Amino acid sequence: MFETIKIKKGVDIPLAGHAKKERTEERAVADFAVKPTDFIGVVPKLLVAEGDAVKAGSPLFYDKNNESARFTAPVSGTVKAIVRGAKRAIQAVVVASDGKYESLPFEKGSAEDFTRQQIIDTMVASGLWTMVRQRPFGTIANVADTPKAIFVSCFDSAPLAADYDFALQGREAFFTSGVALLAKLSGGKLHLSCRKGQKLAQGKFPQNVEVHFFEGPHPAGNVGTQIAAIDPINKGEVVWVMTPEAVSNLGRLFSTGEYRPERCIAFAGPKAANPRYYHTIMGASVESMCKEQQIDASTTRLISGNVLSGTKIATDGYLGAFDSLLSAIPEGDYYDFMGWIAPGFRKFSLQRTFCSAFTAFCGHRKSDSEDCEKDSRYNMDTNFHGGPRPLVLTGNFEKVFPFKIYPLQLIKAAVIGDIDLMENLGIYEVEPEDFALCEFMDPSKTEIQTIIREALETIRKEAM
Amino acid sequence: MKLREWIDKIKPNFVEGGKFPWLKSTFEAFETFAFTPKDTTTRGSHIRDAADMKRTMITVVIALLPALFFGMWNVGHQYALTTGEVMGFWAKFWFGFIRMLPLIVVSYVVGLAIEFMFAQIRGHEVNEGYLVTGIIIPMIVPISTPLWQLAIAVAFAVVIGKEVFGGTGMNFMNPALIARAFLFFSYPTHMSGDAVWISAKHFGDALTGATPLGEAMTSTAASGSEMIASMKYSALEMFLGTVPGSIGETSTVAILIGACILLMSGIASWRIMLSVVLGGGCMGLLFNAIGANAYMQLPFYYHFIMGGFAFGTVFMATDPVTSAQTNCGKWIYGFLIGAMAVLIRVLNPAYPEGMMLAILLMNCFAPLIDHCVVASNISYRKKRAQAQLKK
Repeated sequence: MFETIKIKKGVDIPLAGHAKKERTEERAVADFAVKPTDFIGVVPKLLVAEGDAVKAGSPLFYDKNNESARFTAPVSGTVKAIVRGAKRAIQAVVVASDGKYESLPFEKGSAEDFTRQQIIDTMVASGLWTMVRQRPFGTIANVADTPKAIFVSCFDSAPLAADYDFALQGREAFFTSGVALLAKLSGGKLHLSCRKGQKLAQGKFPQNVEVHFFEGPHPAGNVGTQIAAIDPINKGEVVWVMTPEAVSNLGRLFSTGEYRPERCIAFAGPKAANPRYYHTIMGASVESMCKEQQIDASTTRLISGNVLSGTKIATDGYLGAFDSLLSAIPEGDYYDFMGWIAPGFRKFSLQRTFCSAFTAFCGHRKSDSEDCEKDSRYNMDTNFHGGPRPLVLTGNFEKVFPFKIYPLQLIKAAVIGDIDLMENLGIYEVEPEDFALCEFMDPSKTEIQTIIREALETIRKEAM
Repeated sequence: MKLREWIDKIKPNFVEGGKFPWLKSTFEAFETFAFTPKDTTTRGSHIRDAADMKRTMITVVIALLPALFFGMWNVGHQYALTTGEVMGFWAKFWFGFIRMLPLIVVSYVVGLAIEFMFAQIRGHEVNEGYLVTGIIIPMIVPISTPLWQLAIAVAFAVVIGKEVFGGTGMNFMNPALIARAFLFFSYPTHMSGDAVWISAKHFGDALTGATPLGEAMTSTAASGSEMIASMKYSALEMFLGTVPGSIGETSTVAILIGACILLMSGIASWRIMLSVVLGGGCMGLLFNAIGANAYMQLPFYYHFIMGGFAFGTVFMATDPVTSAQTNCGKWIYGFLIGAMAVLIRVLNPAYPEGMMLAILLMNCFAPLIDHCVVASNISYRKKRAQAQLKK
């Protein structure tokens, strides 16, 4: 049951600004938003109007294509704004908190008290169902499916990522009961992937839960990597994935009968004045945190999620639905004189063509570089470091892509839109985030994640 | 920064609606040469590796420099040897530099002009690929190549070898080798024989210097050891490179320095380099075992230090675009190049050098090799799905 899986391909990018293991109870946040744009393929249909009073768990809108995807208010208060973008598409529904965190009442009890259907119904009613994503395609799971397995990655290996053991401190019991509930939904196993010695792995779980230990660099923590290593997805199969935070919230929902989508996030990155953790609620406005971290909006890129596959948000924006990390890095809108030949002592590259490769070995070697000297880490910014070119180099993506898939060939199949070829080459096994390191390292500066997302969307719509 | 201000000032002239919109790609090429652009990411990975195509290609050019500089010195050295003139180190280097410079200039000017034109027509930025091709071409032709022939060969290689397929990254044959092959088959008298390897035009082609490969092919020795004894150059001289030959390819030492740079930076594939050597070595040993004639009996390692084997292995077989693109494919591709090169050298009566043809041949087969490798991945995936269904 407790096997160790070694991921050899990949790399830990030594980005400066790890969050210190200190937690602030963030009470100052007034606004919380639910953003349909955080979810793939959701067409929102509103159920509230501005000014309506809501409680945590009150429905705000649902997905026209998947009515069990009900999006609910994360806190109690009033609907402050319905933000619309181009073509009046709903971008966000903002709820102003009344500070009481009152929830609608939901059924409570332990996993044994409920049937699979009852668990699903309660999850749908509370809005927690939207946290269950399916693979392939990364959409919200369909309640009618029985997945062949469910995967939960209990650690995040991305640069500056939150440590879930720390983030879920005090909520371990909720996590364990959440796992028990989730295990009932699986048609087969529930796979928990952990680092050796993780506290989250130590709960008492039902029989069909398997714990796997992963070693190795990023993307070992990506659930896609773990699925590929444990039980790869074949054509026609569906697996579900959930984040540890969501699993813990599921446990809390059934233990207390209250919907309280907590989130303990790491605020990290070279631009954060005092990188640390904040304990708040899903969809929180980041404004007060940014103020505390002295974020200057004009020179900082604020990212909800990690720097490799997160989403750019404004300093008065809102936390993404699935994210446990806010990364603040410098904007890179500067010219670099003779960048093609400059020695580059402070530049990070996987290609050893810069002096940094020979002066800062430490950053390359340590996988958890927290105890590493600060000098060996890099203040990486958003500069493109070049212009887009056709794909020229070959064999380099393979160094950071731990799948039995030919990355370059799959990318090219996606570019030409050949669905049969993409299926044959394993498109169903990947999500854009699995290509994040390829995109990072590509000297041709191809937007690979966008290519993969568009390809997956084409296939998904074709099948609809 | 003054330069930056000046560039920003003249930039509006080169955009759509400016005075010279037809120079947009050219302007961009020079602008990005001076300054890496300030563009930032918008989606996907917010941070990017500091290396871009310019840095990558320049590193390959740097790796070529030891061979180039040695070649320049060697041109002078060979001249001094044949004429008996006494020359110092710098005099030899200068002699070669002066003769090499026109070849390099012609290669870059003709090639880049075509690249700039195509980039402008397509509305692309100028690709850096030709920076490497443009220096390799003068390094793999004889020093006495007439400039007009070189210009035609370069134009042919860039247009037919690369641009018709869509430019760098889309071509399937190494453009530098296409230029070499074009010269070889169009002007055979200028490209082979003994007269072309030493720069001594003012002596009216009276001087000849056979390359080791040429000697090996025409040798009438009865056995391998006799052949070695009759050769003008020792294995050590061939390894160091103080022998006649194309400018870049004589010195195995200088090429090895370049190989170190390429492997350390991670740009070239070690799989290809290693497998070419393995392929050449195996074929050499096989011939040693057969030993039907003197050339077959020649110790296998001679193939590594003679002619263009080392240069081809390090700088041309490893071209990422025209080699096999899968890691498994690279092994097969490299091995066959090495084996083919030695095969052509020993058994073919017409061409002393087999490396060029071996690489071009395998360039053609690389997509097929990849196809087979990828097909096995596809069938693995299908089998996995079927096994799952049976459960």
